[in-house]
This record gives sequence, structure tokens and C-alpha cells, in this order.
Amino acid sequence: MKKLIALILVALLSVTLIACAGADSGGNDTDTAADTTTEAADDDAGADDTTDTGNDDTAGAGGTINLWSFTDEVPNMVDRFKELNPDFPYNVEVTIISTTDGAYQPALDGALVGGGSDAPDIFAAEAAFVLRYTQGDMSEFALPYADLGIDVDALIAEAQIASYTVDIGTRDGQVVGLGFQATGGAVIYRRSIAQDVWGTDDPDEVAGHIGGGSASWDQFMNAAREMDAAGYSMVSGAGDLWQVARNTGSPWINADNELYIAAERLAFMDVHRELYEGGLMNDTTAWSDAWFADMAGVGAREVFAFLGPAWLINYVMAGNSGGDAPGEGTFGDWGVAVPPQGFFWGGTWLIANAQGNEEVRSGVAQLIEWITLNSTEEGLQYKWANGTLFGEGGTKDVVASATVMDKADGTVEFLGGQDMFDIFIPAGEYASGTVLTQYDESINDWFMDASTEYATGSMTREEAIEFFKQQVASNLAVTVNFD
Amino acid sequence: MKKNVTGTTVIGRTLIYTLLILLAVISVLPFLIMFANATRSTIEIQQRALSLIPSRYLLDNLSHLTGGGSRGFNAMVGFRNSFVVSTGATSLAVYFSSLTAYGIVAYDWKMKHGFFAFIMGIMMIPTTVSTIGFYQFMMQLGWTNNLLPLILPAIASPTIVFFMRQYLLATLSLEMVEAARIDGSGEFATFNRIVLPIMKPAIATQAIFVFVATWNNLLLPLILLQRQNLFTMPIMVSLLRGDIYRTELGAIYLGLSMTVLPLFVVYFILSKYIIAGVALGGVKE
Amino acid sequence: MKKHKNNYAKYGYLFSIPFVLAFLLFQLFPLIQTVFVSFTDLRGVTMRIADANVLEQPFQNYIDIFHDPTFRTAFSNTILIWILNFVPQIVLALALAAWFTNNRLKIKAAGFFKVLFYMPNIITAASIAILFMALFAAPISPANDILVRLGFLDAPMHFFRSESFAQGTVAFIQFWMWYGNTMIILIAGILGISPTLFEAAAIDGATNIQTFFRVTLPSLKTIVLFTLVTSFVGGMQMFDIPNLLVDRSGPNNATLTTSVFIYNQAFSGSWMFNRAGAASMLMFIMISIVSGILFYTMRDRDAGKIKRERKIADKARRVG
Repeated sequence: MKKLIALILVALLSVTLIACAGADSGGNDTDTAADTTTEAADDDAGADDTTDTGNDDTAGAGGTINLWSFTDEVPNMVDRFKELNPDFPYNVEVTIISTTDGAYQPALDGALVGGGSDAPDIFAAEAAFVLRYTQGDMSEFALPYADLGIDVDALIAEAQIASYTVDIGTRDGQVVGLGFQATGGAVIYRRSIAQDVWGTDDPDEVAGHIGGGSASWDQFMNAAREMDAAGYSMVSGAGDLWQVARNTGSPWINADNELYIAAERLAFMDVHRELYEGGLMNDTTAWSDAWFADMAGVGAREVFAFLGPAWLINYVMAGNSGGDAPGEGTFGDWGVAVPPQGFFWGGTWLIANAQGNEEVRSGVAQLIEWITLNSTEEGLQYKWANGTLFGEGGTKDVVASATVMDKADGTVEFLGGQDMFDIFIPAGEYASGTVLTQYDESINDWFMDASTEYATGSMTREEAIEFFKQQVASNLAVTVNFD
Repeated sequence: MKKNVTGTTVIGRTLIYTLLILLAVISVLPFLIMFANATRSTIEIQQRALSLIPSRYLLDNLSHLTGGGSRGFNAMVGFRNSFVVSTGATSLAVYFSSLTAYGIVAYDWKMKHGFFAFIMGIMMIPTTVSTIGFYQFMMQLGWTNNLLPLILPAIASPTIVFFMRQYLLATLSLEMVEAARIDGSGEFATFNRIVLPIMKPAIATQAIFVFVATWNNLLLPLILLQRQNLFTMPIMVSLLRGDIYRTELGAIYLGLSMTVLPLFVVYFILSKYIIAGVALGGVKE
Repeated sequence: MKKHKNNYAKYGYLFSIPFVLAFLLFQLFPLIQTVFVSFTDLRGVTMRIADANVLEQPFQNYIDIFHDPTFRTAFSNTILIWILNFVPQIVLALALAAWFTNNRLKIKAAGFFKVLFYMPNIITAASIAILFMALFAAPISPANDILVRLGFLDAPMHFFRSESFAQGTVAFIQFWMWYGNTMIILIAGILGISPTLFEAAAIDGATNIQTFFRVTLPSLKTIVLFTLVTSFVGGMQMFDIPNLLVDRSGPNNATLTTSVFIYNQAFSGSWMFNRAGAASMLMFIMISIVSGILFYTMRDRDAGKIKRERKIADKARRVG
């Protein structure tokens, strides 16, 4: 009996392994980020590896650029760049660690400090923690773009890069990091549900119903109750609204390195509780499978709206809508309207490691310039905005360069043919780096946890605030004043 | 109530067997769900998460997990690194522990009893308390992103020395060692050629445990390794928690299955020895 | 003869050298560094130990940690989760061990059951944590699926929003992973008890339950102590499962354990190695004290009893 089980398991294992190898080699011709990782990984074995050179067929003569990112977005861009520039003489070795539970930062910190040939040469940083790498604890690792040989001031002027991306990426007057997106947010709503409840799916009218531009949650919550009465959830989870609320008020840490909780952020806790108690949402957590299920309309109740920037559409919603063409899943059933309150969410900044491998600097410079500063039709941003990076018909996004945006067309099928740039370009004005701090990623998570405790009734408002303060006090070198 | 010869009532027996079967189910059910869901599509799982009937999406899940746009999870790389670390640590641990134990058992030296007491003493030191210092030390040496710090410390494994000593006390005949000496064999050679083979059964059981323990270790690799192609299996697994996988439930279950399957295979082949080994370890006092 | 042996004594030292070197280098030195760090200002990922300075008030980190409510939560969670896992574990393992070794009961397919019960113990804890995370996820997961379908729940439940559920799950996983191990150790212990004791009990007409409490359990004391101490030392260092099962240690830090706390202090946020070092030392001291007490109380009584028994035996011999 036992032998039989063992035999079956061995058989299963070998099938898996063979299938695995098959999948790997099958993927090689598409030359994706994954394969870069795999190839590099397969070539150097064990503990005694330092020789990464010359393991690729043609490329790699110039050395290996280590790229760190928290999604496959930038790695995919880099792969595309290599395809478009076959003579680019560098290997790119990619490390992707997602930001879930704050996993990316400790790993990246460790890699930067560890140095050596494995140290990152370029790394990506997200809005929630980019300040740590451009102006905060880790800023010593940020190499000014000018030192890469990029004529940064002239290019910024030429591309008309959104000023908040520049501000966030500037240390002592020198640009050390830039993004490629402008991440002003909007309400992304289901047209069919708007039709059902309000008899219209026009963005302007929908904005009227949800209090677009009113700088208050009142109208939005009224709309939520209407949705509830009609059997829909206004939003998927409270976290969707937090993305808006956390942009309001003032930074978490003031000039004296003390924790400061702005009234606007505290007010979110009440909105959260109302959503929970009224059953106005599906109570999902952002990035959980239930949240994604709501994008396809297959969650607990159909969800009316998500709140986010153009990248949420591009990178997340389209892939999770349960379809690839209008009529399939929720694809094509979405519209974009002005949010009750301006906000921005996310954005990826690219930073060159000041202690990275100097031999690959010119390659690093080429990649950074192509992604963040090239405003021509050959640059990344033009292709990214128009959805043509990987061929015609890709999903579009709002980019940092106003020069590019002037040339771009934001009509997308996913939004039923709406030109999303009409909403998102003005939304970009709300994007500002002034409310950010270097520890936002952790602090926001802790605040959201505390808010959930209050909303679900596990803690009183005071207890929740106390708990939040204690989390900050215990985990960060920040002064916290308890009352 | 009439008692039968077993001294237990029929009801008692039934209860015992019911409990045993229940425990057996609890032992395997989570893994069965995992294997089943590894073959099911995300949509299927979303609609009905609990099903033991396999579906036909194994290869689809596999391509989400490892194919184009793979996001870091690479079972092959994880296997390889874990294998290197576990094999290395296991060989060092059993070899040097046997050597140390032999040194204690076969020779009369002044500090031998003190040394053995010392080994008993350090057996109880919780290993995680020195993690901070260990990390700092590896930073000083520049040994982060290196598998060696996961392998070399195995040379000093007090529990295994203890076990090997008990085993040698019971099995080693010093006459045999004497005979080897008369034949002109050096002490080190005697150990390698004569003593090690005697210790084979003890080495086998201990090897399994070191191997599994090293394979499953998460904390140290997590702290020391930042380079993805050095990630061991437990770190690979922890990547599955990432946002980017939460869209692909089937792929998560498949990834877990791939990490668990080799251990299953090893376990079902060696279970007899493993259980015997646990039993031996337990009666060491 | 004696002279002859002395020639070989050096090999005793020689063969112990690798062990001693590895111990000094990879265990003792790191331990000393941890102690050192705990008295310094070593903070921040870029700061090296060579640049660290001993604080003006050397015990400041200890004071901070000691007064930190989060550390206290972590510490009490660790104890609570350990007790929740150990008590049912030892009870069940004792019962199973007694049944499996009972000659009158003759459990069928005993080997099969033992193999299955021990199995969870060898599977990677990290994998198990993520598996359980998926099994109990909300709102879509196998657990929610079955509970809603069977009518136990009206709507899917966010299991891990409940502190007691989160702690209970960690404890359950620990229990589930370890009861098989404990059972096998206890079985070996019971098999080591002299069969004449059981025969005598059978002749005296003792029931199974009487035999268990009067013969089996007293003879197992040392092994139960061994299990208790190893489980305690292991339980206090619990890391993988609480770290991976729930995001950010669950509601109100319900699954934050001491090891996870130390990890968070040192390897995230502000990289406070000094405070992590102090917390490590507090944990070390605590584990040492408790294991010491456990050994002392149970050992002494045993030793005393053996002495008494020996005296009785001596008397008997003298009389005989």
C-alpha cells in the first residue's frame, strides 16, 4: 500500500518537474522578464557564483544590470527596450518582490547595503515609500541623474514632466528619481449599474450623483445607499476610499519627527464604519482575490465603482474583468468620472544605485532616460500613453510628460470608448508629494488596520487610535505623543 | 456493560477508531484540497472553493506560475538552492557530529567530560536569540547573498553529537579500533573506514532530520538572501503571498503543491525510518 | 597500557576542533555580538556594527522594550499560543500512545495511522501557513465555502479578523504539526517501560484507565518533561507560521510572537538592531529561567525518588 502511494507520488512529481521544464523552455522565445531571471539563475549554481558574464547568446557583452522592482511592469518595459534596441549590450537580471506586507523594502534595503556584484543597479520605488530612497534614510544610495550623464534639466523642460514627480524625486536640488506616470485618480464605475440605478451612464451625470469635485463624502455616501437599495455595493472595500482619504490633510510625520494624525484622515474612520455597518461595500481587502473578483462582477454583490488612477485600469482591472473584449465579463462596461475629492495613488520612480556597478552606468542611463524623460514618439511614455508599447491595442495610461499627453489619445474599449484622458489629465493636478513621508507604506497599513478594528466594532475609536499610535511607536524611530 | 477480552467496551473501541480516522482525515484533507485546487481554474475556485475533484487546468496554472510574466516564483531555483543548502548542511552535520562523538567516546582525554557537559549545555540554547549578531557578522564578512552561512554552522550540531555519542557507546567495540591500530591504520583513517560504516543507521536517521529541518528553515534565509536566484524553497513559497499572485488562486495552490510534493515523496518512501528515528530521539534520556 | 592510551588522547581534542571552531564562530560570537548590540545605538540599515557606540544608559534598549506594550503583547501571545497548542497536544498524544501500545486493544493499521499523524511535521511550515491562509481566506475560500453551504454561516466570514480565531489557528497548526511527533516519542517511551509492570497490573485486574494513570504515566515522567521543555523552547521561537499566516500579525497584533517582533524591529521600518538585540536577550533570559525551573522542579523530585528507592533497595538487600 505504502509503496503504491510512494510510486504514485513519484509519478506525480516527475510529471510536475517535466511540465515545469517544458514551461520554462516554452517561455524562452517570448523573452519575458521571467526568462531573464530564469536564465541567469540557471547559469550560476550554488554558493560560489559571482560570474554572470557571457551566459547569454549575443547580449551581455557590456555586463549585467541588476534591476529590482515590485511588479513586472518595469521589467517588461526593459525587455521591450531590449527588443527595440537589439544592440543594447547588457544583460538585465530582474528581481521582483511584491510589496505585500511590506516585503519589498526590507529585501531591497538588504540588497543595497549588501553591495557587491549582486547589488541592484536600478531599482523601482512606489509612491508610498519612494521618499525613503530619494530623500530619507536610504537616499545615500540614490545617484543623481546628472551623474549618469543625463541632461536632466533640459529634458524635464522639454518633456514637461509633472512637477510632483520631480519634487518627490529631488534631493538637495538634484534629480535622483523620476516616474513615467501621472497617477491622479478618478472614479471608475460600471456603466450598466449607473444605467440601472440612475438611468444614465454619462460621466458628467454620474459625477453629479456621487458628488464629483465636492470635496466631501456626503453625496458619495448618499449614492452608496441608493446603490445598496438597488442591490449593489458602492465599492469593493473600504481600502478603495482610503486611497483618496490618505491624500488629504498633512503628512504622518511632522518636521520634529513626531507622528501627526490629520483630522481629514481621522474622519475616514467614520466613513469606514458607515460603509461597514450599512453593508455598503463587499468588505474586501485591496489586492485580495475577492477584490479582483469584484472587478469581474462575480463577487458577493456587484460593485459599482473602484477608485484609482489610469494605471489601475491598465494594469489591474482590464486583466481581471473576466474578458478581453466588450461583452465579455465586465470589459467595456466601465466609465470614468470625476471623484468627490482629488487624489493620486501610486506611481513608480526609477532610481540608480550610487553604489552600483559603474561599468553598466551608461546602460542604466539609457534605460532611465528612455522610460522617464524621452518625450518623443520613440520614448516609452508615448507608447505607454497610447497603449502601443507591446503592439497596437494595448491599454493606455496617463504619463508624466505633458508633451506626450498632448499627442496621446485616451480612447479605450475597456471604458466603452470613453477618452479617459479627459478626466485623468485634470485629475493629475491633485497629485502632490507634500503629504507623503518615507514611512507611508507601513503607517498607512497600520492606520487601515486600526480603522478596520473600529469599523467592525472590535475597538472603540479611541482604542483604535491608541493601537495605531502604539504600532508606530513600537516599530519606527518616530516620536509618538500619547494623550 | 459487558466487557470483552480487550478490557474496552465496543463503544470505547468504536470511539477510538472514529477519533483515529478523524485525525487521519485532518492530517491529509488540507493537502487533498491543495492538490485538487492546483488543478482547478481560478474561476472554478471562486465559485466553489472546496472540491476534491480535480479539474483540467493544471497546465494553465503552471503557466501562470512559471510561464511568461512569471513574477519571481521559480520552483526549480528554489529546489536547487534548498537542495544545495540541505545536502551541504546534512553532510557537514552528520560527518562532524560523528567525528566529535567518536572523539568523546573512543579517547580518554582530560576535558572529555567537561566537553560533553558543555555540549549538553548548549543543546538548549535557542538558536534564534543570536540572529541579530549572526546577521551583523555576515554583513561584516560580506557573506549575505551566499549560501555558505546556511551550511557551515551545521558543523556544530550539539543534538546530533549527543545522539551519535549514545549510539557509539552502545555499538562501538574498542577492540575493533585496537585491531585497526595494530594493522597500522591512522586514527583519522580508522574513523573514516571503520567507525563511519558502523554508524550508518544512526547517520541515516539523523541525516533525514537535519535535511528536513534545513529544507524548512525560513528565518535565516529570509534575512540573508536578497537575490532571487539564491532563494530557498520556503522563501519562494512566501512569495506566493504577494499581491501579484492573489489573482491566481489555482497557481497559488499549485505553487504550494510543488513545494510540498517532494517532501511527500521522501516521507512516504522513508516513513518507517523517520518514525523509528523520532522514537530513538525521544528516548535519549 | 595507560601510557599507550595517553598517546591517543590528543585525537580526542583534535576531533573536537571542528565542532568547537564552528560553535565559537557561528554561535558564540553571534551571541556575544547580539549582547553587545543590545547595549548600543545600532539602528538603521546602513549603520555597521563597527560604528555602533554603547549608550550612555546602557540598559536603555532593555528599558524601552520592557515598557513597550507591543513587546508585551507579543510575549503574552507567544505564551498563550504555546499553551493552546501544547495542552491538547500532550493530552491527545498521551491517549494515542496509550492506545497504540495497548496489547489488549490491538489497534488495526496502527502503522498507517502513525505515518499519517506524523506527516504534517515534515512539511515546510511556510507552505502550511500559506495553505491555511488560503483555506480560511475571506470571502472566498474552502472553509467559507463549506460553512456557508452547510448553513453554519449566513455569509462568508473574515476569519482572520477575529483575534481568537487568528490565535487559535496558529495554535491549531502548531498542534497539528506536532502531536504526531510527540505521540511517537511517547510510544517509544512506553515501549521502554518494563513489560513486567504491565503484566503485574493485568494480574491485579487493573482497567486500562487505571493502568494508564498508575503505571504508564508515572514511568513516562522524564519523557514528558523532555517533550515539555523542547516544545517550550521551540514554541517560544515560533516564527514561520505566525509570520506568514496573517498580514501584519492579524487584528490587534493577535498573532505577533516574540520572534516576529524581533524580526520586525531589526529587519523592517527603522531597522532597530539594538532594540531587537535587547528583545532577543530578554527572550533568552526568559526561556532559560523557565526551562531551568521546569528541569529543577521535575528533576529534583525524580532524583529524590530514585535516592529513596535505592535506599529501600539497599535495605531490602541488607535484610535479604
